[in-house]
Amino acid sequence: MVAEALSTAGLAIAVVAVLLGGTYIAAVLDVVFTRLTMRIAVRPLAAAALPLRRAAQLALQRRTLTERPDAGTWALAPAVLGALAAVSLAVVPLTGTVIAVKADTGIVVFAAAMALVVVAVYLQGWSPNSPLSLVAAYRFVAEGLSYEIPFAVVLIGTALPARSLALVPIVTSQEHLWNVVRQPLGLPIYLVTVLALGFWGPLSLPEGQDVAGGTSVELSGVPRLLWRVAQLNVLVAVSAMGAAVFLGGWLGPWLPGGVWMALKTLFLLALLVASRQYFARVRTESFVVVAWTILTPLALVDVFMAGIQAMVAAR
Amino acid sequence: MVVRPLLARLAKKAPVPVFLIAGIGGDEIADRLRLDERLQVMDSPRPAMVLMIVGRLTSGLNGAALQVHDQMAEPRAVVRWSPSRLDASAAIFPHLVAAEAAAALGRAAVAARDDLLAGRLPSSPPLLPDVDPNPWRGVGPWGQGGAGMTGGVPYGRPLPERAKDRDGLQLDQLLVRVGPFMPALPEGLTLEVKLQGDVIQDVVVGENPFLEEAGSESRQEVSPALVAPADLAPFLAALRVPVAIAELELVRVRHHLRWLGHTLRIHGLTALGRRVLALSARVHLGGAGARGALATADVAELRRSLERNFTLAWVTRGIGRLSADQLAALDGGPVARAAGVERDERLADPAYLALGFEPVTRTRGDALARWRLRLHEAERSLRLAEIAGDGMTTVTGAVEGPTGPLGRGLAPSSRLLPLLPDLLTGLDWGDAVSTLLSLDLDLREAALTTPGSGAVPAWAW
Amino acid sequence: MEGGAAALTILVVALGAFLILRGAGDILNPPQSTAPSRVPFSGGLSPDTHAWNRYHVRYYAMALLFLAFDMEMVFMYPWAVVFVEEGLMALIEMLMFITILLFGILYTWREGAFRWS
Repeated sequence: MVAEALSTAGLAIAVVAVLLGGTYIAAVLDVVFTRLTMRIAVRPLAAAALPLRRAAQLALQRRTLTERPDAGTWALAPAVLGALAAVSLAVVPLTGTVIAVKADTGIVVFAAAMALVVVAVYLQGWSPNSPLSLVAAYRFVAEGLSYEIPFAVVLIGTALPARSLALVPIVTSQEHLWNVVRQPLGLPIYLVTVLALGFWGPLSLPEGQDVAGGTSVELSGVPRLLWRVAQLNVLVAVSAMGAAVFLGGWLGPWLPGGVWMALKTLFLLALLVASRQYFARVRTESFVVVAWTILTPLALVDVFMAGIQAMVAAR
Repeated sequence: MVVRPLLARLAKKAPVPVFLIAGIGGDEIADRLRLDERLQVMDSPRPAMVLMIVGRLTSGLNGAALQVHDQMAEPRAVVRWSPSRLDASAAIFPHLVAAEAAAALGRAAVAARDDLLAGRLPSSPPLLPDVDPNPWRGVGPWGQGGAGMTGGVPYGRPLPERAKDRDGLQLDQLLVRVGPFMPALPEGLTLEVKLQGDVIQDVVVGENPFLEEAGSESRQEVSPALVAPADLAPFLAALRVPVAIAELELVRVRHHLRWLGHTLRIHGLTALGRRVLALSARVHLGGAGARGALATADVAELRRSLERNFTLAWVTRGIGRLSADQLAALDGGPVARAAGVERDERLADPAYLALGFEPVTRTRGDALARWRLRLHEAERSLRLAEIAGDGMTTVTGAVEGPTGPLGRGLAPSSRLLPLLPDLLTGLDWGDAVSTLLSLDLDLREAALTTPGSGAVPAWAW
Repeated sequence: MEGGAAALTILVVALGAFLILRGAGDILNPPQSTAPSRVPFSGGLSPDTHAWNRYHVRYYAMALLFLAFDMEMVFMYPWAVVFVEEGLMALIEMLMFITILLFGILYTWREGAFRWS
């Protein structure tokens, strides 16, 4: 009993550490990529301290009140986003044995948690009763409904070779060949859709500069800090899942499993964070059309290819 | 408490979150402030700690400036620099910190932030009276003045009214007053937008806040050179006397690059936008060959990388086309040239033709064509400046400014403003902002000439 | 801990952590405001009405399409686990299911549900 409780506590600490550490690294990566794109000196030590300094500054600021907001949902929105990211990360196996949530249907838990991100972001935009953030919230729902299907279908594709929805079998099924190689459509579609999940870079419709910051237009102080942290938490969680189901998770020669997992997660995280520098923010209408007419059919093609491969392998 | 000083020490070297307000004479300084690494210019006043007022605020902007000040989260401070001694902002913002020179603004903002966090400077108190728009009257259950279904307006503001929609539904129309300090829009532009969902149903352009009241004191002191945006000054001079071609073309390049930097930022490419702003700051008016000055190769490289960026093309393709009548009203300028109308005042000047000048045109006429055209023009202008040497313009009376022809009737921005309602109706919010950006409106330039107001155009002053 | 209970525990604990941090922020900087400071930001002017309204969600047709595909996803989850044992028939059946839904996308596209300006 005690051993079980201790191991649960240890696993919880591991999840928190990965989440917070990943968030901090994502913030530093953002600073580094921004400076590289601006063609100014990167100054690594200053860049490493910058997210902490900004966080301290935000912590010393008062939070904003608006006329007649929905105070409850406004307080809950960043908490819900962060909690969903925590649950999503918890189902990802960090090594062969370190998994906080051992579920037979890990993929489903992950997809379900990430589906509720739309609700959290919408609440953040709707609660302050501000016109610009309301427009941003509804824009995001359009984006959110469109990314869900390719996202979930591509994840199902990775479950096919393993014939299981649990994450440990999915990772071990990649012992001979990673899913990124045998399902080439999977990872690109996954990366595009998780940018929408984290409303980052080209898919930052709810946070756009054209709506003066959108869902965060009325945020200041600690709520603003928590919202940013929750957003980066989501990026970390989806990078970890991508590393697990597409890049073979903890599998790899010479180095211990945890290190491989960290490297692969960081690689995907860097790709996601860097996308903000090069790609302009999409138009809502264009993205919805592309998601439904290109991404969804491609995702379905990907699932079929995976299915045929799995059947052939079973013969 | 021990936490506050610890956090304050950690926060000391963070970039200061500022909200910029640029008045008359402050547009170029405001862009320079965006390049300052010690500052972080925010899109909303809420997370900002320092309100930076650059230039002189007109009476039309004072109300909005006070509103924005009160909307900032505490602790907050106000820092101001103005080139005019008529500046009244010290009376409006009693706690402001005045910077001695434009170059000292960044340092003043950092000092203000450090003092705020250390407690040495008290936070600027709310300046507008604490009056509820619809006070609680306590008769009905929601604070209305009367009970029952039609018991009066509930506490706070009323709910929006219904109106018809093209889908045959009766849905609400939200009236949003987009004010003068909206970061995505040209400074000073006020729009009353009726939104259904996020599609614009109706747009009413508000008054230009940079127009001074005729006959007011400040009007007598103000010269066009002060009201006009910084980029327009040499062109206004070229209306009367010959001016060095190199200077005109370099200022044109600077204007186009500043515009591009702003546009890229609003489209989500913030770092790229800042890089372009930095390029615009490197335009060296002393001579194209000076060290560190912007060279044609830099702009050519920028143009290549931006034209390769497929997302930028995707986002601006097909947005914001003008009809043939609207183009005819424009009488030239980059917006018309992007639609194939080959009119450029420089064609009437033999000095330009001797340098081999050819106008740049595009055919599509959408936002994509406009930004590509401006970038192409910038590259050509830089090359012209390099080969022009000491050449002077030979034609006065009309000149091709960076936004369009000057000296013939209305300024280009004055011509564009009346077209806005037709242009923006039916677009969704993001497309409307893209369209507005692509038009390169400048309300300071529009203040030089205003249709129908009886104001004398600045070039006749 | 078994899967569902563990996930729920983590959800609740994370929620609590975020809310506690927000509360700590309120203790460090107590929020206070005047009526003008509470006006929602739209550039410096004041609104006439609440922002909440019967918003015209123009993508309602696309939302229906999403519902259809959501149901398909629900069926794909168990299908992914068992279909190799079931053989080629399972694959063909899912192919038919998906083709019908793809026709749904085509229909929605032709009906203009993706164009809403």
